[in-house]
Amino acid sequence: MAASPATVPERPRPRLPATARRVASGMAVPVGSVVLAFVIGALIVLATGGDPLAAYQGLLCGGLGAFCTQGENPALQVSSTIVFTIPLIMAGMAVALPFRAGLFNIGAEGQFLAGAIACTTIGIHLGTLPAPILLPLVLLGGMAAGALWAGIAGVLKATVGAHEVVTTIMLNYVAQWLLRYLIIGGPLQLASGTSKSSPIGAGARLATLLPNDNNLVIFGLPSSVYRVHSGLLIALLAAAVFAFLLWRTTLGYEIRAVGQSQKAARYAGVSVRRTIIVTMLIAGAFSGLAGAIQIAGIDHNLTDKYFSDTTGFDAIAVALLGLGSAVGIVLASILFGALHSGSGVMQADAGISSSLVLVLQALILFSIAANFLGAIRLRLPGLGRAPAARPPDSPAAALMTEAAAPPPEGSPSAT
Amino acid sequence: MGHTRLRFLGVVAAAFMLVAACGSSTSSPPAKQYKVGLVTDIGGLNDKSFNHLAYVGLQKAITDLSVKGDVTESKSGDDYVPNLTNFASKGYDLVIGVGFLMAEAIGTVSGQFPNIHFAIIDGAGTDAKGNDLKHANVQSLFFSEQDAGALVGVVAGMLEKQGKAKKNAHVIGAVGGISIPPVNHYIAGYKWAATMEDPGIKVLIGYSNDFVDPAKCKGVAQGQISAKADILFQVAGQCGLGVLQAAGQNSVYSIGVDADQKDSDPSVILSALKKVDVATYTAIKGVVNGQFKAGALTFNVANDGAGYAIDNFSLPADIQTEVDNVKAKIKSGALTPPSDIPA
Amino acid sequence: MSVVSEILHLLVTASLWNQVLAAAVLLLLPALGGVISERSGVVNIAMEGMMLTGAFFAVVADLGLHNPWLATLVAMAAGGLMALIHAVVSIRFRADQIVSGIAINIFAAGLTVFLVNRIYGIQDVGHASYSELLPSLNIPVLEQIPFIGHVFFQQNVIVYVALVLLVLVHVVLFRTRLGLRIRAVGEHPQAADTAGINVYAIRYGAVITSGLLSGLAGAFLAIGVSNTFVPNMTDGRGYIALAAMIFGKWTPFGAFVACLIFGLGEAIYANNSIIHVSPYLLSMLPYLLTLIVLAGVVGRSNPPAADGIPYVAGSE
Repeated sequence: MAASPATVPERPRPRLPATARRVASGMAVPVGSVVLAFVIGALIVLATGGDPLAAYQGLLCGGLGAFCTQGENPALQVSSTIVFTIPLIMAGMAVALPFRAGLFNIGAEGQFLAGAIACTTIGIHLGTLPAPILLPLVLLGGMAAGALWAGIAGVLKATVGAHEVVTTIMLNYVAQWLLRYLIIGGPLQLASGTSKSSPIGAGARLATLLPNDNNLVIFGLPSSVYRVHSGLLIALLAAAVFAFLLWRTTLGYEIRAVGQSQKAARYAGVSVRRTIIVTMLIAGAFSGLAGAIQIAGIDHNLTDKYFSDTTGFDAIAVALLGLGSAVGIVLASILFGALHSGSGVMQADAGISSSLVLVLQALILFSIAANFLGAIRLRLPGLGRAPAARPPDSPAAALMTEAAAPPPEGSPSAT
Repeated sequence: MGHTRLRFLGVVAAAFMLVAACGSSTSSPPAKQYKVGLVTDIGGLNDKSFNHLAYVGLQKAITDLSVKGDVTESKSGDDYVPNLTNFASKGYDLVIGVGFLMAEAIGTVSGQFPNIHFAIIDGAGTDAKGNDLKHANVQSLFFSEQDAGALVGVVAGMLEKQGKAKKNAHVIGAVGGISIPPVNHYIAGYKWAATMEDPGIKVLIGYSNDFVDPAKCKGVAQGQISAKADILFQVAGQCGLGVLQAAGQNSVYSIGVDADQKDSDPSVILSALKKVDVATYTAIKGVVNGQFKAGALTFNVANDGAGYAIDNFSLPADIQTEVDNVKAKIKSGALTPPSDIPA
Repeated sequence: MSVVSEILHLLVTASLWNQVLAAAVLLLLPALGGVISERSGVVNIAMEGMMLTGAFFAVVADLGLHNPWLATLVAMAAGGLMALIHAVVSIRFRADQIVSGIAINIFAAGLTVFLVNRIYGIQDVGHASYSELLPSLNIPVLEQIPFIGHVFFQQNVIVYVALVLLVLVHVVLFRTRLGLRIRAVGEHPQAADTAGINVYAIRYGAVITSGLLSGLAGAFLAIGVSNTFVPNMTDGRGYIALAAMIFGKWTPFGAFVACLIFGLGEAIYANNSIIHVSPYLLSMLPYLLTLIVLAGVVGRSNPPAADGIPYVAGSE
């Protein structure tokens, strides 16, 4: 029953297969990149005299609780992966949202720390308030601090055109040193000679999903070892907000329009400056929330371990691997959470240095980066009725729109 | 429904553990192989300092006591709890955390696994406020760093007093990493003893604010050398290697820390030793022999857990006599080096 | 004596400025690499990773070959190889240059620790002996000049090399045909292409040069300033170099001035045994200063026009 050429366009397209195809083609690049990274990683392990199968078995066990051979508890491994996943989801969105506006937020780490610092400060000083008041307060405080930190970069970008990559890197370091000051000798220090803050009040803490009880045995271990907390629900809610904001609101349209072409956005009546600032504020709020939740859900105080935190940097890889979509970011966060969680088991069981995971992360980034343009091009036509690619207005915008799609033949170069 | 099922699982698991426990005690196999898990802090195994020494102790236990030993390096502070929990959940007989950064993590995990033994180097199992939880399954391995600092301080003070150092300005220095207790204990003993031997001495104390980057410590050391210091004590881990090198390049003396750092630079005349390897081995041996003791176990000069090594230097006889003298007095309790840096 | 007068007193000592110069050179070499790379239109935030790789391989080679000069060449080659990856990914594959740069930095951090673990097990990496280190060199006669002599002429050999390179890079960039081509490629690649310049060759060359210079800095750090490899020993210097490059408005001498300012902060703090200053403020200073410069307080700082934009041949 060959349809005549004339009727083809009018025929309703079979929705589901098309969606499936789109998902499949969208998944192809990230999945391919991950596979490629693991293959190269295996070669590196092999070349240095290690056993890649043992290494990856350890990673799978520690990350997903699968293929465990040394008596590991699968539920424990899965819960550990989820704990690592939670902040990555929110920090990942803090990188992904500016991506859509053609901005590269390398400052998720600084914003994360700002959020953690604000949450701790409020949680200590108002520690006696009851949870219904204090908990929203510390989370909102964290969001505000993160927004402020990112907002500095946003304002500098919008007003004097300062490159946000550089300003956010600088702001990361300022946050790092501020943190050191605060907990070593500064006002948040617990006691002389310590390098941590006092704990936040009980009302500022997020509940764990399973009872925090050393005596209740679940899956063979005390239930308190499963540290998954209600921050998971907040993270998933934030992901939904992210998707809604991006695709169902005027602001989301404006963000995408600015990311496609600042000139075109301007013609369409979008205030590019305002959009840049608002985008960075929201992004910072996401990352600040991640920091606040890490304090409220896991640590309950600021410690020296935040000196070596890398959540905001991992978030860059997460945002790229997730192709800037909410679902993609959640999936990529799970992968990176699993890698993080699995690295310890890998070293304990297979004797392969846990820094192999860093190598794998870098390899994933390389292959994603090299395919990044293709990946976005595949997705954008179906999702964002965006204006045709136009020449970029600024290096930063150029960076992203160029990455998204090379300028069409004959387009004038950037000026 | 779901709840009862969880309960049921728990009961099954508990029963299984009980059976397993009974099985091992009744059948009395020739020798139970004890399992020891070691979790490093973010310094990692190649830190040429306490993580490394802890591993050396574990290796000795693997050889001498036939234990099974496994190691996990923590990449970030977020890894402490998961890495400790992983070993504990696998039923390891002893889980060792290296470094006082892990105190809170040990406090948490030891509460969850009351039947597993834990040991921690340089700390106790604490709550978030830093209070020792005093769990019955945690052994805290502390060191009197001030003892080791005092012994090298005696030598430094004597050399200055006798004009045997390089510049004869009665100035010595100490370069710390970050101003935290294990660092300051060393410096306290050093300054106290040097001042005791040479009351006119000036002890410069600086911090690099870093434990990793040798160039940072080298800068601090050069500042002290410019201020006429001619014996420099490094208390900054790997960063401190820069102190030893700065001393070498400026032809003054240096003193190593934690491990014997004789080979790090020809300028190293002494090392203040903190025998983390001995402590680790002792903790493992205690578990294997069924003599695990909860609470603090302090390693000091008296039990040979802290001391000094003479490196690229031949110690004059009279100084050796004085060091032995002070050492004997510290052992007997006649002298007690302070743990806080004297004014 | 107040802290201010203590600092003023310190500022007139030659040994302080000797330290400032040495600290500045560690930043200058990667900063010069960054200037060259970005002038050609390739964003480079990967100096940190290239420097770290250089430091690692300098030590491995030095302990194996017992020759600091060969080890330095190996370090430069290692830095250059990392740069080549960055170049291939960002020029050939037109990948996002910032993503590629981040990947290089993560890759270097992971790979060096992984290799330390595979090569040396848990053993000490080992220490280069004095004869195996890049030597300090006192320039005869000149070193006798009061003050100046100690500051400029009693330095490590790499310090002299770096100062020569500083002048060289400036001359090449602004006084030669090659420099004109590099800048043309960075400002307007299409026009450069039309004029017969091989845009790809220039960009590859520039990026690889940045790797060689960063690798040299790594060698200086590991077997000049220090005598061993310590994981992450570069300690963010590549990022400070990036700040210096921007601070200096993408010019060699501008970057050098920035490196000196940052080096001064480090050197003043290094004297905290004598002057009790807050380490935090001084450590924060380079970043705050760079932010202030970026905010336009000290004049605008604009990158080359085509910086970060992959070039597609024949796109005009």
